[in-house]
Amino acid sequence: MNASGRETQGALERLLDWGRLGPLRLRARGVADGVYAGGHRSSRRGAGVEFGGHREYVPGDDLRWLDRRAIMRHGRLLVRQFETETDRTLRLVLDASASMAFRSKAAPGAKLAFAAVLAAALARVALAGGDPVAVDWIGGERCHPLPALGGREAFERVVAALESVIPGGDVSLDDASVDRAFASVARRARRGSIIVLLSDLIDLPEGTLDRFAALSSMGRTLVVVRVLDPLEATFSLEGAVRLRASEGDVVVETDASAVRDGYLAALDAVAVRWQEKLSAVGGMLVRAATSDDPVHVLNEILLGVRGNGP
Amino acid sequence: MSFLVAGALAVALLVIAPVLAHLLRRSRADEREFPPAKLVPVAEPVARQRSRLEDRALLLVRALTVLGLAVLGATPFVRCSRLAIARQAGGSVALALVVDDSLSMRAKTTSGPTRFELAKSGARDLLDTTREGDAVALVLAGAPARLALSATTDLGAVRHALAELAPSDRSTDIEGAVQLARTALKQLPHTDRRVVLLSDFAGNPVPAGEPPAWAPLAALRAPVDDCGVVSAETRGRRASATIACSSARAARGRSLELVASAGSEPGPADAGTSSTRTKAGDLVASVKLEPHAGEQTVVSEIDVASVALDARLSGKDAIAHDDEAPVSAAGSGLLLGVLTDPATSSATTGGSSVLEQALGALEEEVTLRPMSVLPDDDKDLAPLAALILDDPTGLTPETRAALSTWVERGGVAAAWLGPRAESVQLGSTLEPFVTGPLRWEHTRAKGLDPASIGWLGAPGTSLSNLEPRGRARLEGALPSGARVTARWDDGQPFLAEMAFGRGLLITTGLPVSVDQSDVALRPGFLALLDELIDRAARRVGPRRTLAGVPWTFAGASKLSVEGPDGALRVSDSDPGATSAQKTVLPAVLGRYRVSVDGAPEVRVVTIDPKEITTPPREPESQPDRVVVGGVANKTDVSREVALGLLALFLLELVLRTLRRVKPRRGRRRSDRTTVPG
Repeated sequence: MNASGRETQGALERLLDWGRLGPLRLRARGVADGVYAGGHRSSRRGAGVEFGGHREYVPGDDLRWLDRRAIMRHGRLLVRQFETETDRTLRLVLDASASMAFRSKAAPGAKLAFAAVLAAALARVALAGGDPVAVDWIGGERCHPLPALGGREAFERVVAALESVIPGGDVSLDDASVDRAFASVARRARRGSIIVLLSDLIDLPEGTLDRFAALSSMGRTLVVVRVLDPLEATFSLEGAVRLRASEGDVVVETDASAVRDGYLAALDAVAVRWQEKLSAVGGMLVRAATSDDPVHVLNEILLGVRGNGP
Repeated sequence: MSFLVAGALAVALLVIAPVLAHLLRRSRADEREFPPAKLVPVAEPVARQRSRLEDRALLLVRALTVLGLAVLGATPFVRCSRLAIARQAGGSVALALVVDDSLSMRAKTTSGPTRFELAKSGARDLLDTTREGDAVALVLAGAPARLALSATTDLGAVRHALAELAPSDRSTDIEGAVQLARTALKQLPHTDRRVVLLSDFAGNPVPAGEPPAWAPLAALRAPVDDCGVVSAETRGRRASATIACSSARAARGRSLELVASAGSEPGPADAGTSSTRTKAGDLVASVKLEPHAGEQTVVSEIDVASVALDARLSGKDAIAHDDEAPVSAAGSGLLLGVLTDPATSSATTGGSSVLEQALGALEEEVTLRPMSVLPDDDKDLAPLAALILDDPTGLTPETRAALSTWVERGGVAAAWLGPRAESVQLGSTLEPFVTGPLRWEHTRAKGLDPASIGWLGAPGTSLSNLEPRGRARLEGALPSGARVTARWDDGQPFLAEMAFGRGLLITTGLPVSVDQSDVALRPGFLALLDELIDRAARRVGPRRTLAGVPWTFAGASKLSVEGPDGALRVSDSDPGATSAQKTVLPAVLGRYRVSVDGAPEVRVVTIDPKEITTPPREPESQPDRVVVGGVANKTDVSREVALGLLALFLLELVLRTLRRVKPRRGRRRSDRTTVPG
């Protein structure tokens, strides 16, 4: 076997453990169909049903929108404007670092698989509403960022990108990986975009929270979905254990029964920190475990998005 | 090694199975991936730690059990190297165990125990392989060689006798021990007879003979570095000591120290002198040793003449026991009183009397005390072992009383009666040597009857021609109970002896003077004096002897001897007889306090320097094992291994029981590392 062959073999061994969450396309459709695909108001004005005011006629405007009564009353050519429901770009940022590949025996799939289902479902809901969807990655291999896409093919492109990713990489010490993803979002996300970060929030480098919160400018909506494995969420280990982190070289030998409460408190402290920061910038944190019902989690996300929308 | 043995030993490889299982279990349960590990606090895994400790104990027990099973499966093919008896055609064996209990066997070996302990251990190993029908004799090779236990089939008695053996400071008499062992086996009906020597052979060579002797323990013959105090004595304010060293290295950097002995008390004459301030253990003098092998004598001036001293060597060596010895006063040998008239008994060339010169020529360890008159007090005679009177002029009543009392307490008095016996002074007699008046007569006898003096050996024949000018007529004058031991060639008594209390009276019918006869010029005269000294030595006992030399006390009714190791056992030759002879056998060097019928005395036991200077050696002709009778250094250890296995099983049961009974503090049902499925 040559070098490329060995690389392919290694990549196959590290393929995402979809478990019971696959196939992604069908699963995402099922999840998306389970939620209400309501529209959201757009700040863009144009053709619509609700009156939005007048403006001076400029050559090239549709003559259908000339307001004859206003011409007669004011002696000028005025065009009627209407508010219309238009697209808000959904930018999905997925954490594909090594820790997201973790799946315990009790979990239906890896954390990244669960996040991918949510992302695909969100994409489907967004595309159904006419909103474009973009995808960015933190860490991972074979991850292909997608620009804002709309239309019929967009969902297939998003699903293909989600299916091709291989989790990996240690982002705990790799600030560049996070910077790349967030810089891309900051550069391309338009006003009113919805930015959804799907991550376990475990091994992200220091300062990630601040940098992500900084994306809330320009009326962007920030949503963070923390995806944990059931084992991580409950720490249901017992007795003497030796735990090795997926990223970094942390190895802890401890008595699980004795430190359970301490661990859960530390885990909750991380979530509280993110929650407080996001609340300050109008965002929200959705806590999820891979054993949760994706429909329920998606509903929470959508409620958050609507509640924070303009 | 047969296939079966190899197969059984291969089972031992399974000892790694529990280890592997343990390691595998540990690896599965211990480390697992957990992404938020950095959020998990570190805590002492109490339950796991306890489990590991218990598991290790059980793991060890099980590993040992597997090994034991492997060895048990391989036995009796796998054998240990302790001594054992291999039998020829399964017949019974007659075995003589010669255990050397001499001083040199006290040396420590490189492995830790002394040579004597190794020898006893070897003897025990051999005894463990004996069985019903075997006969075992136990012989000790410390001089004189002794039969500790005659050949017996009571193996329990042999074990008991062996356990009772203790090392001594005797010389080595391996030659006599081997002869004794062969004699002990001679009368036994066994055809398979063996003599096993457990000695360092620091003595005479092993005599050839049947059955040949076998010396199995080579570890006993490893040379050691040792120095020992052979003897030490004070003469006035000068102390001298003889030191023996096995090598120059043993003597290098060491010195002889003279210290005040425990319990030493200064005499009245020393009141107010420096000695009164000397306490037990105080260093009196110190002399550096010359670094060479062999014997050396060191001399030191001391200023505490009348204090009992001990001589000890600084530093350490293989035998610590011989590094200290008591210091005896000079002349601790026999003290002989000699009463002569210089006018009649001195040689014409001048100097000492003929009698004194003859005694000096014997080179015995005796000290002469010339006397001009006999003391009237028996206390003055007490230090004497023997008293020789040459042509005495008679004994006054006071003198006779003192002499009689002294003889009754063990003294030996010899009177060479001459012409002055006929003219004793008024009130004086020659009692208790003779009763009544004694007549000096002219005689035609030429000398002694050789037949009557045959007990003296070859020198006695020289007394057959004495050319006497006269003789004391003893016939009719000897007291009742006297026994004539030599006669003139005409039948008249020449020499008579009589037991008197614990002592002995010897009467001779000739004076020593060369003017009266040629007796003093004959070799037989020296032989007579030698016999006299020997009698005195046996009765009184020398003040300084080698370890292992018996002390005899003839006629003593009450005897006690206190040695370094406590009171010694007194053997009575004939308890019912009035002239019973008591014997004590001191085998350890040191100072002994003897009490004979209430009269105290101090004796010193020393060591033979050859025990130190003679290096151990291999026997000249090491008999082949087959010739000896197939004694092999192998034995079956099945029983011991089986017992060990049983003990291991019991230990595992105990461990498991303890694990269940132990309070379950900190141990929960969920101590197992599991993830809920």
